[in-house]
Amino acid sequence: MILGSLVLANLKMLFRNRQSLFWALAFPLLFVGIFGLFNLDQTTTTTIGVVDRSQDDVSRALIQSLDAINTFKVENRDDEDDARKDLKDGDLNFLIVIPGGLGRSVADGDPASIGLTYDERSPTSAVVIGIIQRFLGEVNLNLVEAPSLLNLSAQGVRARDLDYFDFLLPGFVGMGVMTYAIIGLGAVMTTYREQKILKRIQATPLRVRTFFGGLILAHLMLALVQTALILAAGILILDGDILGNYAYIGILVVMGNTVFLSIGFIVGSIAKNAAAASGLGNAVAMPMMFLSGVFFPTDDLPGFLPTVVSYLPLAPMLEAMRGVALDAEPLWAFPTELAILGGWVILAAAVAIKSFKFG
Amino acid sequence: MTDSTENVIDVRDLVKRFGSLTAVDGISFSVRPGEVFGILGPNGAGKTTVLECIEGLQKPTAGSIEVLGLDVLRETNRVKELIGIQLQASAYFDYLTVREILRLFGSFYHTSVPPDELIAQVGLEDKAGTTIQKLSGGQKQRFTIAATLVNDPKVVFLDEPTTGLDPQARRGLWEFIQSIQQKGRSVVLTTHYMEEAATLCHRVAIMDRGKIVALDTPSNLVHSLPAPYEVRVVTEGRAAMDGLESLDAVVGVDHGENGTFNLRSSEAAKTLPALLGWVNQAGVTLTHLEVKPATLEDVFLALTGHGLEDRPEDLSS
Repeated sequence: MILGSLVLANLKMLFRNRQSLFWALAFPLLFVGIFGLFNLDQTTTTTIGVVDRSQDDVSRALIQSLDAINTFKVENRDDEDDARKDLKDGDLNFLIVIPGGLGRSVADGDPASIGLTYDERSPTSAVVIGIIQRFLGEVNLNLVEAPSLLNLSAQGVRARDLDYFDFLLPGFVGMGVMTYAIIGLGAVMTTYREQKILKRIQATPLRVRTFFGGLILAHLMLALVQTALILAAGILILDGDILGNYAYIGILVVMGNTVFLSIGFIVGSIAKNAAAASGLGNAVAMPMMFLSGVFFPTDDLPGFLPTVVSYLPLAPMLEAMRGVALDAEPLWAFPTELAILGGWVILAAAVAIKSFKFG
Repeated sequence: MTDSTENVIDVRDLVKRFGSLTAVDGISFSVRPGEVFGILGPNGAGKTTVLECIEGLQKPTAGSIEVLGLDVLRETNRVKELIGIQLQASAYFDYLTVREILRLFGSFYHTSVPPDELIAQVGLEDKAGTTIQKLSGGQKQRFTIAATLVNDPKVVFLDEPTTGLDPQARRGLWEFIQSIQQKGRSVVLTTHYMEEAATLCHRVAIMDRGKIVALDTPSNLVHSLPAPYEVRVVTEGRAAMDGLESLDAVVGVDHGENGTFNLRSSEAAKTLPALLGWVNQAGVTLTHLEVKPATLEDVFLALTGHGLEDRPEDLSS
């Protein structure tokens, strides 16, 4: 079968071309590795400077309990002036000053004022002030030995063991598949035209569509290999999680990659040579990569950008893929995304066929 | 003219225009079975365009082309099954081996020759497992010709097959091209080397500016010149030689420097004895005597008024 031998020949070429293989496999794996090795999920702790003018049992107990609060890290400051300077410079966001003779005031039942100075620009200040207020309220109740009539029974539930890396993993799949399809196929097409390989093919009875069928099938297979490698590296080595159906992910990869290969095809038709194809391919792929939610949710984009981006091919592909991967949703839970992606498949293929030229 | 059904190729009033440029300007010719047919002309004469129209790679503006009795325009794919094409300066896949490419191209045809048989034919047995980029220029050229033979074609088209090769590799390729023809195939080739056309081709069409200016066997073309020979003599002591013009078959005499005379002759076999008789009678001593047959270059010059290498601009590509 002609198509079979074409696919086989194309796969051989793809895997023997070290340089293109690097971009296809090593490059996205590099991203996976870098992001996987950084611990991106550290819960942010707030450092609170404390100047203890009392230095008695009560003040020390107070500081200890404050430090016991998970989100706080207490830093004992001896030099108040120095601490205030840090506050001004932005090196410290919160400073608590415990007045002298706290133990005595408490024993005497005199109210003591605990000073809190904070950086107004700190986004967490309201939360931190609230926590400290509640903390002091509790301490007050304890001090007057009031019975706890109402207790909050808070129970943390870990819904799913998902973190930022798990969010990134489908993004890397989309990124790797897209950049290689657009830049790689664009370069292949220009090379084929430059070296008159297309014309040589045209000189045989082989149908042009069979030739490109083989080329595209081989690239789709490579995309699935890319996907498998990226997911395997993410899951097995870097402890990522995919909760959904792998077959759905595969279908999304094939759909998305069909669009990207068509774009690569168009790039190859426009560019004069392989270097120009790579430049043009990058110009198309890079903005799409950063805007379409590879690294952060598109909702974080300003203004009307999220709407615009949601109609580009990569964003709906990632949206649906994350739904499958992170929420274990079936494909049909994303009719809008699939419709946009399907529309792109048809549109991009039509433009690719229209723009194609032999020589 | 022979009956058209006997010809492997019949080209009638072929015209090909690119915008305002007329690359091929109404040419007609036929190629007979088993012959090596050459299209000789400078760059930009329209040779490649003619070839690509016959191969079905370009659509003629006007005219008809039949290959093996098939209309090229209507039955392009049936024609492609039967012919082998070598394109000028075309490359093959960088990351496949010689054998893999031949097998792949073979799979495009209904009938194909086993790759190793082709490899043996072109003597690339020890290169069968290497990629094309590692072949030398001559090996590459032999490979591309082997690739034209994957479907055991009836007609083989070679576009400037020896361009860019050193003289030794060129001669090696000539032998190989002759061996293709000896298997009963017809070969159509373009060249701008007159020596190549003279050595390889049974018949040569001389093309210039989109037209065929002459078409015949190389020897007939040369003998169609008024003076197909040049007899060159140098006399001792720069002796004057008057009356050479009246010698048998002499068309004209050019007086060179230092006692050199060039006699343009229509028949060297008549001019030479007459010249030697004249020399004896006049008591002149010759220090040098040389008979040079005219070449296709001279034919081209006589027909077009310019040389084969005179037009560097390439209009054909």
